[in-house]
Amino acid sequence: MYLRYRISEPQGYAILSDLFSTESLDYLKLQVPDNMKLLVQSVLCWCLLATVASGVESAKLGLSTEMKRRLNIWLQNRSRRDLSSMSAAAKADSAEFVRPEDVRDITFIPHSSTDISVRVRRSKNTVSAVRRPGCSLGTCTVHDLAHRIHQLNNKLKVGSAPMDKISPLGYGRRRRSLPKLQYFLRQEEGTLRPARRTALLRRT
Amino acid sequence: MPKMKMEGRLIVSLLLLCSITQRFGVVCAEENETDGDFPQNVYHDIGVTRNKIVTAQFECYQKIMKDPDHSKKGPTCSPTWDGWLCWDDTEAGITSEQHCPDYFQDFDPYEKVTKICNENGHWFSHPQSNRTWTNYTRCNEHTNEGRVTAMNLFYLALIGHGLSLIALFISLGIFFHFNSLSCQRITLHKNLFFSFVLNSVITIILLTAVANNQELVQRNPVSCKVSQFIHLYLFGCNYFWMLCEGIYLHTLIVVAVFAEKQHLMWYYLLGWGFPLIPASIHAIARSYYYNDNCWISSNTSLLYIVHGPICAALLVNLFFLLNIVRVLITKLKVTHQAESSLYMKAVRATLILVPLLGIQYVLLPYKPQGRVSSEVYDYVLHILMHYQGLLVSTIFCFFNGEVQGVLRRHWNQYRIQFGGNFAHADARSTSYTASSITEVQGCYSIDGHSEHLNGKSCHDIETTILRTEHPFA
Repeated sequence: MYLRYRISEPQGYAILSDLFSTESLDYLKLQVPDNMKLLVQSVLCWCLLATVASGVESAKLGLSTEMKRRLNIWLQNRSRRDLSSMSAAAKADSAEFVRPEDVRDITFIPHSSTDISVRVRRSKNTVSAVRRPGCSLGTCTVHDLAHRIHQLNNKLKVGSAPMDKISPLGYGRRRRSLPKLQYFLRQEEGTLRPARRTALLRRT
Repeated sequence: MPKMKMEGRLIVSLLLLCSITQRFGVVCAEENETDGDFPQNVYHDIGVTRNKIVTAQFECYQKIMKDPDHSKKGPTCSPTWDGWLCWDDTEAGITSEQHCPDYFQDFDPYEKVTKICNENGHWFSHPQSNRTWTNYTRCNEHTNEGRVTAMNLFYLALIGHGLSLIALFISLGIFFHFNSLSCQRITLHKNLFFSFVLNSVITIILLTAVANNQELVQRNPVSCKVSQFIHLYLFGCNYFWMLCEGIYLHTLIVVAVFAEKQHLMWYYLLGWGFPLIPASIHAIARSYYYNDNCWISSNTSLLYIVHGPICAALLVNLFFLLNIVRVLITKLKVTHQAESSLYMKAVRATLILVPLLGIQYVLLPYKPQGRVSSEVYDYVLHILMHYQGLLVSTIFCFFNGEVQGVLRRHWNQYRIQFGGNFAHADARSTSYTASSITEVQGCYSIDGHSEHLNGKSCHDIETTILRTEHPFA
């Protein structure tokens, strides 16, 4: 009975699915004789029932957060793979620069601390900086038109680019040296992640 | 004794379960916490432009740190962040190109930014200031022209859809009012026209109420995503009804030997049912991978989920069109007509069928890269797209021999009933009724062929089709 109450939490469903899918069930199967196996299975069934009974909504919630987490990790892996495929010899050389742990920590920041819409905007930017994705078929022009009209009326964006930054005195002059950045990140280690982001915000 | 052992194991496994539960609980709590203390509003306060630049900069540094130092032979310019864009390491003597960023309203994202890597492995310095410099001047060079073009296209689209709606409503009214017109082909036309109407309505709503309404997009309500979904669904419906028309004509003309009265059930399923699938897949994929406000952005390849099947349908239609024209030409050759009139007829049939089957999109598949050519392409394609309803309803209703015949007959009846005192009009009216009767028979004969005389093969059907489309030769 204790188990039933423990497990009827939002994450109960996810755990059970984990259990049924991973080797823990095999472990039980291997080690226990038949009557015990029956008992274990019935207990697990009870757990399942209790979880379902405890409210489909909460189970759904747990599942969806779990799904989101996995999706994040997957997306993360994907983007990391893309990045590494861009550099042909992405090997251990990077260690002298920044430790791999640092990199992983850094790359996880936006995903664990921001919401979906922001994450989306990030990925859009990465790609648009390299090549323009999107549908280039003839039938897609209607979406293009809608997007262009939307862009034209975007009051939130700055209306016109600052001319002084396009001029000969403008952009392209600054080149921040990387060791300085590394130092900056090391220095910030341990502080809250949002704080680190706002610090970056201030710098620009 | 073994039973005790088993119980022990059971307890251990239960404890394991509990600990897992707790662990997950803790993870979840952490996530909630981090979600909570970073409110979304921060970005709106700072401003979109600033946020975009900061994000790009952040990613640039991440990328530079992940890439190791390349030990290439020749001199290379090292990767850098220039203040707006990120530049990969570039070999000496090569000009690196990127699309303009969308930070500012007057930056055209279709234009290019260039940064030159000099022969000595340093980035180009501007001779005036002697500083490293990226060429952003092309980004806002043609902004005003682009703005004018976009607004022109916007009004063009609205006018086109408005005119299309009027024409389509009139032709639908004619089709529904005159029962003598109801044959299978007209039923298909009705469905196609109806899908045109719905598509026009939702496109007008989308362009005026969503794309042109900044506050709505910023609020990002569910309703605007639903309207996007409906738009994509109806867009698909429209093209799949064109496919249905193509299949029907092809079956009627090329495979007609076996065709009884065709089962319209499948056409309905294909026309109204099938487009739900790509639209739903797109909606699900979009909500997971590219959940921007109101799904207004066209910079995502997820749109291919909807437009891929549409393109496939149009390709199938192109094949049908070619096959129909081939059969027409061979059958017409049998009747030993003069070469010129034969080809005229073939060309005319093709031109009639192109807007009905949506072939124009296959003939203009990809957007060209150049500025002028892409602008011309935009104008041509938008005119073709937004005025297609008008064109189709004109050709297949107002210029249709059957419809004209029915209208003339009713008009004459009306005149005879109420204007009998105009004696001088008699001669003309009789001639009109005579011609209209033959043309009405044309419609009936088409229906008759597909219903009863299917053994009589294609030739008669084709000639009737040609005859019915004769009046606008």
